Parts: sequence; structure tokens; C-alpha cells
Amino acid sequence: MTSCLIVHIPDKEPYDLHHQPTESVFASAINPKHANQIVRRLNQIAPLEDLRHVKRIQKKVLEGGEIQLLVILSLASEGNNQLDSMPPHLQELISSYHNIDGITGFSEEDSQTVLKFMQSAVELATSNSLVVNAAVIVDPSTKQIISSARDQIYAWNSCKDDSYCGKPESFNSHLNISSICDSHEPLHSNSSSNQLKQPYTGVACLYPRQWAEQQSHSQSSYYCHPLRHASIVAIESSAARDRNLFPSEGNNEASYQELDSENASWTNSPAKRQKTVCGNDEDDDKLNPRGQTSDQSSTRPYLCTGYDIYLVWEPCAMCAMALVHQRIRRIFYAFPNPNAGALGSVHRLQGEKSLNHHYAVFRVLLPEEALHKFHI
Amino acid sequence: MGVAYKNSETPFNTTLADQRLYIQISNHLFSSVRVAVTLKGFELEREGVKMTSSETLTFMELAIHQAKLALDVLEVPVGCVIVEDGKVIASGRNRTTETRNATRHAEMEAVDVLLVQWQKNGLSMSEVAENFSNCSLYVTCEPCIMCASVLSILGIKEVFYGCSNDKFGGCGSILSLHLSNSTPLNNEVSSGKSFKCTGGIMASEAVLLFRTFYEQGNPNAPKPHRSLAPQA
Repeated sequence: MTSCLIVHIPDKEPYDLHHQPTESVFASAINPKHANQIVRRLNQIAPLEDLRHVKRIQKKVLEGGEIQLLVILSLASEGNNQLDSMPPHLQELISSYHNIDGITGFSEEDSQTVLKFMQSAVELATSNSLVVNAAVIVDPSTKQIISSARDQIYAWNSCKDDSYCGKPESFNSHLNISSICDSHEPLHSNSSSNQLKQPYTGVACLYPRQWAEQQSHSQSSYYCHPLRHASIVAIESSAARDRNLFPSEGNNEASYQELDSENASWTNSPAKRQKTVCGNDEDDDKLNPRGQTSDQSSTRPYLCTGYDIYLVWEPCAMCAMALVHQRIRRIFYAFPNPNAGALGSVHRLQGEKSLNHHYAVFRVLLPEEALHKFHI
Repeated sequence: MGVAYKNSETPFNTTLADQRLYIQISNHLFSSVRVAVTLKGFELEREGVKMTSSETLTFMELAIHQAKLALDVLEVPVGCVIVEDGKVIASGRNRTTETRNATRHAEMEAVDVLLVQWQKNGLSMSEVAENFSNCSLYVTCEPCIMCASVLSILGIKEVFYGCSNDKFGGCGSILSLHLSNSTPLNNEVSSGKSFKCTGGIMASEAVLLFRTFYEQGNPNAPKPHRSLAPQA
């Protein structure tokens, strides 16, 4: 009885068990929900040649019993930990998963949250008889509103309190749609279309050049700023909030005063936090000329990283690019902007690969009741 | 996905995307800048020098001066001036780090100076629009998509820029918002006005400022991932 044994002769001499060579790899923690999908894709686009015996996924039990999965993305070349050495299609896969929930669908709970914030944006947009665009920036991890704003094209600096003053209305009387708001007749009986038939000429992003067409007006009691679209104002408030919550080492503070005085709702917030004590670590200070300690920067947001924005109308190119600059994570809008929309209608900024930041864009189709409630 | 690390090392503190972002920014501006010089900038500048009036160069020098002011306070070095009837009526430089508002580009700063000024002088909106249509902008780097859009919304007459911006440029590099359609559909109000645009004016000076900035390290980048270059 002769048994046959086939032995592979490897192209390199096998190593002793205790002197195994190691390879540097890029790895990432992943959401276990997506594990199968990710590993399948990775094996397609970035197979680990020569390391087929290696398990791509490692399971770890964290404190508290939570399970964390780690997946190997690709080999890292020696002495180079720059992630852009990764093949582009791999980077693409990573960015398609990275921190952007919702691309693969929303849970019922998440949908309700999205709807709730969108309704608050619509409420803000219709809170005055002149319907304008409105923006609500939200931290989805805490479900906290970071800032919110209406278009302020015609009311810049003229309102010291939260109520929107009457001047823009009378000025824009020909745009006034109060008659529509008074009507008990719902505008749209057909909810499935979610199309608006009114022109809504007060919405800055729909008609960015509208301001220049206004007839001259003799009195100077109102102000005009053609660029104060809702998104721009909301970004400004969130930046002011950031400076307020996380002040930097003192030199430039005075110059913020003007900006801070504007109608930002966060000023009422009791949560004003004093800056944590600056570390004595000299190296730390040298590394960071703005004088933040690492402790601080771990809690301080970088611009609007991780935040979502809810807009009633699809933003114009100015606003859409401003939201790229400010690193917004997701954009939700209710109505498209066929005249000037930059997220699908006229341009599609979310698809411009060259930009250094990409957000995910969603359109929220409001239920009929919501449309009726706000008479839009 | 969250943390990325090389095996046997401790994880980086940052997310993968932040790292990529930073590396893209830092590497990119080098490379884009190099491309700008070798391909577009240099040719345009050579061509530009022949055709560019000394007036244009003078205004661009003032814009470069603004960019240097930004560099001095560790801001991304972009500067601009707005000119009406041969006179500088406003200037601006990047203030994104100071304000923590990434929309505070040089152009936005300069435009706000004028809007405040003209409001104070009691100008009506149509007069403001009329004024902008007589203004030229000189800026050290091609306006980004946001700023190009702003210039089109305001209806500026003409733009001169230094180096091109092949990541975000809104005047030909990524989008061409300076060529915005002046005949809107359905009799609607147009979304913006087109304006004349000339690039490559003193591009190498603008590029040099970027290079200096990124060599000294960008303090505003989301966490440093490489050690900052030793101070020369």
C-alpha cells in the first residue's frame, strides 16, 4: 500500500515558525453589517497576491463586549504610510463607505430623523410669508442642530432679534405669496410628483441673479447682500459656534466680535464651554501654532466634518461648493432647482472627482401631509 | 470605515478620509502648481507678458502682496484686489483658518468690503449691480467653483488670475462658470452673468507662495500626519 503525498516546493525557502517575516498592510475597522460585501469587493479589486493564505478579516472583542472587525485593505509599501499610494479604485471603494451612512438605504428610525429635520427646514423656509430657502446643519451623532438659517438676501443685518423683519416683504410685495398661504386649497393634490408649480422667486438659490433685477428703492432701512443664501449663513453661524465653543489662544478674538453679533441662535446656548487648559508640552505647542492641545482638537470639530445639512431647495453652485469647502458629510434637499441647481439639476458637484471632499446627496420626498401642512 | 493602521503599529488617531484629504491637499497643490507652471501657467505667462499691460501686472502685484499677508498669518496664501476705473477699491486675502469658515476666500472678503461700503453710501441694488459690472478682479489663483459662481452672481466685468486651480477651479479647470448661459430658459431670471477671464498672470509667483506654505506645513489641516518641515 503506497500512499501518495504531494508537497509543494515554494519559491522561497520556508521560514522557521518563530521568525516569520511580516508585511505592512493598510487595514481598517469596518461595520460588521457590510463585512461580506466589502471583502467580496476587495478580493475583486485588490486581491492579496502571494498572501492568499492570509485571512483578510480579524475579529476583536472590545471592552464591553462589542465586536470589532478589521479588514486588510492592501499592502503598504515599506516606509510609506501615505494612503494615497493605494490604488485609486481602492480609495474609491473606501470613500464610498467612509462614514457615509445611507447610501445603502436608511433604517426606519433614520428615515424618521431625516424627515423630522427636513420638516424643521421647511418650517423655517415658510415661517414668513415670503418663502425662501432654509438650511439646518445637524450633528447626526447627537441629533443636535448646530445652526440654521433662512436666505438673508434682503435682510442682512437688519434684524437684531430672531423675528424676521417686515421690510423685505413690503419690498418684495410682488413676490409675496401670502395669498397662497392664506388659501385653504392645497397647492398639490398630487403628492407623488413632489413638483412645485409656484415659481418661488424669493428662493435665492433658484434665482441667484434675482437681486440685480430689483428696482431701485429710495429708502435705506433695509439691507441687501446678494450672497447671503441660507447655506452660506448657516455655515457662518456654525463657524461662529465653533469659535465660541473652542476659542483659540487669544490674539484674534476681537476681530470676531462683528461676526458673532449676527443673529446666531447658539448665542443663547448655556453650553458655552471654556477652553480646556493648554498643555505645557512645548512640542505640542510648536506643532500646533494655534495653541490647541491635542485634548482639545479631539473634541473640536474640523469645520463641519461629520455634519449633515437639510435644505428645502437644491443648492446653487456657490452654496454647493461652499458645503464642499466646509466638509459637510451629507446633504438632504426636498425640491430640485432646475434653474441653477448644482447637485444634479444643472451641475453635479458630488460627482466631480477632483474635489478634495465628497459628500453624499439625498433628495427627501416629503409626504403629502407635510406639503399640505406648510402650504407648499 | 474608521481607523487605518499598518499592522503592528498603533492606529492613527484620525479617520482614513481625513488622511487622504490632507495628503491630497498637500501633495496636490505641489503637483497642480507644478502643472500650472509647466503647462498652462508658463505658456500663458509668456504669452501674457507680451500682451499684459504693465497696469495688469501692477494690480496682480498688489494681489500677490495680499497673498503674502495671508502667508504671514499661516493662511493659505491667496490674495486679490478689485479695480474700478483704474483704481483699487477693495482688497482681500484668505481668512479661512482665522474664521474657521472655509468659505472666507480672498474674493469673498473683497466683495464684502464693497457691499458694506456701498450699502453705507445708500446705493440701491441696481446701482450695486451696475458698479460690479464696471469692476475687474485680480486674484493670485483661479477662483474656485464657489467664487466663480459668486463673481457670476454679482456680474463682475473681468477676472485676471495667476495660477490655475485644477482641483476646484471654476473658470475653466473643473467648471466654466464664467461662461454661464446668459439666455435662461422659460424667461426665467438668469442664474448668473458671464465674464471675461484671463489666467497665467504672474503664475510662478503665486505658485511659489503655495509651495512656501505647504513646505512650512498647513497648521489648519485636520491633524498633521507628517512632521512639519524644519524651519529654514
